[in-house]
Amino acid sequence: MATAEIPYQETVPLHHPKTWIGKYVFSQDHKVIAVQYGITAMAVGLVALFLSDLMRIQIAFPGFMEWFVEDYYYQAITMHGMIMVIYLLTAFLLGAFGNFTVPLMCGARDMVFPFVNMLSYWVYLLSVIILLLGYIPGLGGPTGAGWTLYPPQTITEGTPGADWGITTMLASLAVFIVAFTMGGLNYITTILQARTRGMSLMRLPLTVWGIFVATFLGLLAFPALFVSAIMMILDLKIGTSFFMPAIVSLGQTLAYDGGQPLLFQHLFWFFGHPEVYIVALPAFGVVSDLISVHARKNIFGYRLMVWALVFIGILSFIVWAHHMFVAGMHPYFGFFFATTTLIIAVPTAIKVYNWILTLWKANIKLTVPMLYALSFVLTFIMGGITGLFLGNVIIDIPLSDTYFVVAHFHMVMGVSPILAIFGGIYHWYPKLTGRMLNDTLGKWHFWITFLGTYIIYFPMHYLGFIGVPRRYYENFESSFYPVSAQHLNEIITWTALVVGVAQLLYVINLVHSYFYGKPAGDNPWGANSLEWCTPETPPGHGNWGDRLPTVHRWAYDYSVPGSEKDFIPQTVPQGQTS
Amino acid sequence: MAEAAQTGQGPLTTIVDDWSSDVTTFKAVPWGKAMMWIFLLSDTFIFTSFLVSYMAVRMTQTDAWPEPSAVFSLEAFGTPVPLLLIAIMTFILITSSGTMAMAVNMGYRKRKVAVFWLMFATALLGASFVGMQAFEWTKLITDEGVRAWQNPMGAPQFGSFFFMITGFHGLHVSAGVVYLLIVAIRVLRGRYDNTSFEIVEITGLYWHFVDLVWVFIFAFFYLW
Amino acid sequence: MAEVGQQHPIKVYLLVWLLLFVFSIASYLVDFFAFEGHLRWFLIVVFMLLKAGFIVAVFMHMKWERPTLITAILVPPLVLIVLMYLLAYEADYAWASRIVYFGDEVAPIPAPPPSHPAVPH
Repeated sequence: MATAEIPYQETVPLHHPKTWIGKYVFSQDHKVIAVQYGITAMAVGLVALFLSDLMRIQIAFPGFMEWFVEDYYYQAITMHGMIMVIYLLTAFLLGAFGNFTVPLMCGARDMVFPFVNMLSYWVYLLSVIILLLGYIPGLGGPTGAGWTLYPPQTITEGTPGADWGITTMLASLAVFIVAFTMGGLNYITTILQARTRGMSLMRLPLTVWGIFVATFLGLLAFPALFVSAIMMILDLKIGTSFFMPAIVSLGQTLAYDGGQPLLFQHLFWFFGHPEVYIVALPAFGVVSDLISVHARKNIFGYRLMVWALVFIGILSFIVWAHHMFVAGMHPYFGFFFATTTLIIAVPTAIKVYNWILTLWKANIKLTVPMLYALSFVLTFIMGGITGLFLGNVIIDIPLSDTYFVVAHFHMVMGVSPILAIFGGIYHWYPKLTGRMLNDTLGKWHFWITFLGTYIIYFPMHYLGFIGVPRRYYENFESSFYPVSAQHLNEIITWTALVVGVAQLLYVINLVHSYFYGKPAGDNPWGANSLEWCTPETPPGHGNWGDRLPTVHRWAYDYSVPGSEKDFIPQTVPQGQTS
Repeated sequence: MAEAAQTGQGPLTTIVDDWSSDVTTFKAVPWGKAMMWIFLLSDTFIFTSFLVSYMAVRMTQTDAWPEPSAVFSLEAFGTPVPLLLIAIMTFILITSSGTMAMAVNMGYRKRKVAVFWLMFATALLGASFVGMQAFEWTKLITDEGVRAWQNPMGAPQFGSFFFMITGFHGLHVSAGVVYLLIVAIRVLRGRYDNTSFEIVEITGLYWHFVDLVWVFIFAFFYLW
Repeated sequence: MAEVGQQHPIKVYLLVWLLLFVFSIASYLVDFFAFEGHLRWFLIVVFMLLKAGFIVAVFMHMKWERPTLITAILVPPLVLIVLMYLLAYEADYAWASRIVYFGDEVAPIPAPPPSHPAVPH
């Protein structure tokens, strides 16, 4: 390697905005776009959090909220799931973290096509608005089909929002995919074609690797969702029968004939399973970096970590039907998909071992980002191990559609990535704003969220084992499960309410610290990667001043014996120590 | 590959070297071209998802599937010729691909008037393709009675997939025509005189991709 | 960035152009002469892949790109083959299930449509 290539971007002038609107609203600066993505995603995420609390109240205290009828419950379930998976997690991890970290960590001035990047945010905002249009009163509300939107039930009468709600949902998804494609093409091209001198792919921090692989998965997986959204809209609006077989509904024979409902499930999960990793891989990357920085030790097995990311990415395309074991697909598929599913546990386990080995005998600093990173590892192990249960056909069949599944996926791809996001925010906020977040508030927020998570989701495994079905509006008095289960439900709900309210601590912290936080300096954590080497904090437009930095080493030289400080930034030449 | 031969390296060594180098992974590939290639990769997944859905629904179909070569036949000189219009459309698209390739070639010779006229010809051929598609749709709707939701000759999905897939491809062609015209006019006005003509090649990639998709639609929808 | 444009003799383009016409006519003739069954499908796929290959290799200049770009673009679509294969595999099963569970018992079981491989019983 080490070709003496001059980065193309050093020869292209940046167009600096002149007006306030150009700087902060229609900004082409990747850092501003990251903040816009982040704020929008968090706002819509708070809506989804509110919906989940409403559902919890209904489950624990049926009849307490009389206005909260069945339809509202199913709509809340659907919107909660879709918002959390797509509009919060995907948008935050790739839109906010991706935009913020990719150019900074690669040593680029900006994304390769800043204008397209800006469009990406505004189209994303449009998709969020279209999604929320489902709540326009008088049109039947958003869809209540569950976030998987399985036909035929999704678009037949009787399902809430079978007309207007599902239309806004599918349209919003299609628009989101357009937004994601514009952003994703930018991330990939920036990472591949716009790195700085000396920055080879194997010197990139794992955060960028996670975002890179996840974006690639997104570009290849979202098309399947796009296609199924188009086909479902056609089924609904002009009466084609792609997914709709001949149906008798409410005593009437519908006009549909000969469609294949299973096809939708295949397409949906051909997108849906990579989507799990679109959410998980950036979180893996962020957590790897947090652990290494805050444990003052190089990441264990860097190359293996990278290859594990790549292999998880490849494998995620051939495991999709493990979501469909009870769907009535070809009976031989169970064997194939159970096998591939269990194989994917190998690279994932490698990552977990490497995190733990990084912590081994390290100088662990229990800062707030580190607390989040550690809790991520713990939560991810819990969720991953229940995944091994559900990956096996014979164990999955009795457990499917019970609270065990709910507990599993909330642990593994709900709570874990959220913890990684919080960790990342506490870690990068000083670089973004120049001020530290409040430590005490942060620790309160962490412990309430973390312990709350376990009080909420741990008992759900047990509820699942005794057969409590998921997505039920009300478990009537003739319940087949013991009274103690209902008590568990009440405990879960109270905890969920506390955790929900506790998120206010975090919002207060973000706003308060922006004005009154402790000044952070350039590199408060003593981290190596390039974003901490910018000439200004917060970095200006163009990030690097006159000349791009030159990279001489990987991002993980912590506690190197014989060096003055316990970290050596990437810009320090080989042979020197600071 | 040619490059690898020059440096005396095998392709595998080149791949490893490129991926482990700094600054760029795709050597001598401009940003726009890299981005267009990755976009086309994503678009490939869209069209394949459409075609795979078509396959899955057609194979599970218990109603009769119409014989495309009979449905799409056209009367010429008093006798029905199967797939006549489709054949003409295919040739038009191939011709447009050829003119586009020539435009790219001329672009790198910096002969911008030639580039303009070749791109204009490409756009014109593309527009005539869309026009013929409109004619084909009209004929199918009015003469054969096929709708997106019904089909007097058997399975209703025949019409659904036909209109959806060819419609989506037609949208790509239409977008391509607009894209071609914009770039052609910019070339003529001298917008790229001081930089390079790589934009012509990028436009060309998109246009050839549209042609490529038609190859698959032609084989799987009209001939199968 | 060093400008290494894709510049090649015009002769190659004209040759490929001609070849594309030839393959299109050939696949059209497959239909015209009404070949049926596996021969038909085989010929269609062969001509399709030849056309696609020439468009990608010459018109899209893939032949002259570095192997890095070639592999990065051509390898990922392989996962689509898995999708296609598995859905085709399942479609047979779904079709058979429809005949078994929803077929009219009085009427004889209809023969598979011509595009359909025989279902093992």
